[in-house]
Formats: sequence, structure tokens, C-alpha cells
Amino acid sequence: MPHLSNKRIIMILIGLIVIVALVSFSLRDRQNATLPEQFIKDSVGLAQSIVAKPANYITNLFQDIQSLLNTYEENQRLKMRLEDFAALQAEVNTLKSENKELRKLLDNEDSLRDYEPIRATVIARNPDQWEEKIIINKGSSHGVKKNMAVMTTSGLIGKVSLVTPFTAEVELLYTNNPNFRVSAMVQSEKNVAYGLIEGYDEKRNELILKRIDSSLEINKGDKVVTSGLGGIFPKGILIGEISEVTTEDFGLTKMAYIRPSADFSMLEKVMIAKRSATVIDGADGEGTNADLTNNTGIPGEGED
Amino acid sequence: MWIRFMIPAVAIILFLLEPEFALFSPIEWNGELFYFVPRFLILYLIFLSIYYNPKRAATYGLIFGLLYDVFYIDIIGLYTVLYPLMCFLANWTIKYIHQHLTFTTILSVLLVALMELVLYIFFHHIIHFTNLAFTEFFVKRLIPSIFANLIYLMMLGWAFKYLIDARVLQKLRELS
Repeated sequence: MPHLSNKRIIMILIGLIVIVALVSFSLRDRQNATLPEQFIKDSVGLAQSIVAKPANYITNLFQDIQSLLNTYEENQRLKMRLEDFAALQAEVNTLKSENKELRKLLDNEDSLRDYEPIRATVIARNPDQWEEKIIINKGSSHGVKKNMAVMTTSGLIGKVSLVTPFTAEVELLYTNNPNFRVSAMVQSEKNVAYGLIEGYDEKRNELILKRIDSSLEINKGDKVVTSGLGGIFPKGILIGEISEVTTEDFGLTKMAYIRPSADFSMLEKVMIAKRSATVIDGADGEGTNADLTNNTGIPGEGED
Repeated sequence: MWIRFMIPAVAIILFLLEPEFALFSPIEWNGELFYFVPRFLILYLIFLSIYYNPKRAATYGLIFGLLYDVFYIDIIGLYTVLYPLMCFLANWTIKYIHQHLTFTTILSVLLVALMELVLYIFFHHIIHFTNLAFTEFFVKRLIPSIFANLIYLMMLGWAFKYLIDARVLQKLRELS
């Protein structure tokens, strides 16, 4: 190594102290980005979204070619499903109108299901991929708030973890963060079981659904959707399908592995679900220091 | 004249392109996910450090490392340290190695692999963000990343060298 003078050693030591302080500051459980951070995030985000446009165009081109090659097979398959679809559509319509009438009877127009979608484009993915994060081009000025659900057309992908005025960071479901929980329910044929998605299995690449009542029967292939009971997510966003059911460590509750329905590798257009029913900040995620009010007027709603 | 601005301009473009390429990753193959981590910018900075000016390269490393930390990682001080450190290391090791393009390419990729290893130790042993086992990390992240970055550098390394040589020649002409 080159010869170091005393002055240099002192400089290096001071530098080290500053760096350690900065790292530990940024590792703290922060709720908001500081002002200079917000400034950097917004300006880099602006440049990034300009670059993202041609890049997205090129990826789309590749995907178009790929789908063109599969057109025949896909057409065949879709034709088969089309017949089922007409019947399903009719059923959905009757159920919808029935639901509306019943809701009127109950005097309860607000549903946990209702949400207002905010459309956003993915401008970047955290390039070193140690934490599973993406950055989108909508921020607090567009109404995005921390902890909101983010999804694609095929299912839930994650939730908003940090917001600046013009960008937002989304933590994907594939995360090791132990605080990342999603309240979910399993829709099996006989009953509905509630559970919490906590973490994921790195070896199987599947999500883990824990705390399911062991008296309820759930099967492989059952669909898992968000329950809306966490306070922030709307109800009924598809998460995935159960691939295996086992018993948890102490045998008191069941545990299931879920194969997510959304594709996480090529994310481009996403939707942020802004729930119409009153939002409760609380145990879901790290909390946002807001007080937990109970008089929301929604039956079945409450803390996690 | 334009060559003067090309050196930082290329760095900015590579900085912005990295996350775009990261969108392709992870790639599923045989039911396993493989992560390809693009390290375009630091490879370019290592080239700058070897062929152009180590101090300039370290300064770029500091600035872009800070931007990288704030915008993508949210841990300020990680890449801010690693980028300049890699530039210094490159400059120190190149004294013992022949400066042919092949050797610098291999050296740069090895340095990036070292950086990846340091990052793994940081995320796994120090702050416990991941519980990825070392063998998993080695097979699913390190090897694919080394491959991807090697291909990238084999395609663009000569262009970087061409650009840097042009700039060095221009500087010499200005001096004389």
C-alpha cells in the first residue's frame, strides 16, 4: 500500500466515523425521507423516468415478438375459455346486482372492496437486488401514501414503503423484512380461512401464509386474496394459489405455501390501490404514528 | 471538445441504465431464480481509474455512490465508500499487472466480484437483511453476475478504452 502520512490517517478515521454514523442513521426505522434525500430522489427519478421510456419500449418490443410467436396456441386456449367466460359474466352480473340490493338493505354502501386505482410506471428496480424494491413514478403529490397496496393486473406485488413528492418505493412481496405482513384469506370451496402472509421461503420461491385456524379445511390450489382487515389494503386482491399445506411449529395453526400469481421479473405498469373505505394506520407495517381510532363505522373493521 | 464531456456523460448514462437492466432480473430457469446484478458504472469507473486518472475516478465514484445510496439503497454510506475504494484498489493492483485490455477486463470483473462479496457480508452478517446461505449466494448471484458483467465488459471495454485514450491524447495536445 502507498505510504500514509499522519494527516491522511486522521482524515480516513474521521471519514470512517462519519460513514458509520450515516449508515446507522439510515438503518434506523425511518418513516420519511429527509429533505435532501427527497430532493435527490425526485431529481434522479425525473432523469430515470426519461430513460425508462425508451427502455420500456424496447422491452415491449421483445415481449410483442414473443407473444406473436405464441399466438396460435394462445388463441386455441382462449377460445376454449371464452365459452366459460360468457356464463361466468352472467353469473357475476346477477351477483353484483344482488350484492347492491343487499347492501342497500343493510344501509352500508361502503365496502372494503372498493378502491381507486392510481396507475404508475415502474422507472427502476433497485439494481443490486439485495432488497426487493422497485421505484415508481407517482408520489405523494398524486395521492400515494405509505403502506398502500401495489398490484399488477395479475395480482398483488407489494406495498409502498417510502414516498417522496414525485416518486415512491415499493417493497415487493419477496422480502425478508419481518415486519412485512399482509392480512389474507383463503377462498376454499367450503369455507373462508384467514391468515397472515409472513415472509417467504427462499428455497422454494414461495410466500408463507401463517396462523390459519387448524379446524378449517384448506386445499392445494385454493386461491388466496387480501382480506382488507389489515386496515390499508382493499379486500379481494388476488395474491396467489396454495401449493402446499403443513402444520406450524407447535401444531396449533396451519401454515401454507403460496405461489404468487403476479410475475415479478418484468414489472412495468402497476396500480396502486387507494382504498375508498376509511384507512386505519396501525399494526400493518411499521405504523405511521397516527392514532388508532375505532369509530370508523365499518363493521368487522378494526386493528389487526 | 465534445470528448471532454463524454467521460462524465457516459458515467451518467451507465448510472441510469443499470436499474433498467435490473428489471430483467431475476431470471427463472429450472424452477430456480438467478440474479444478475448489473455493475456497469463501477466497471467503467475502474477503467477510468486504470487508464485515465485515479483521483478523478474516485471523485466520480463518491458522487455516484452517494446518488446510488440515496436513490436505490436507502443506506447512505455503503456504495459511497465502496465505489471510490474499488477505484483505489484498481489503481493499486494495476501496477503489478500488464495493462493489456484482456488483463484489465479480468481484473475489473474480479474487483466487482470482491465488491459483491463485501456486500454479501454486509447484508448477511452485519445488518441481517438477508438469510441467504453462502452457497446459494455463490451459485445464484455471484456466478451469474460475474458472467453478465464479463459479457458486458467484453462488448464495451474497448469502447471505454478508445474514449479514454482519445481524452488522454487530447490532454497531451493541449499541454504541448
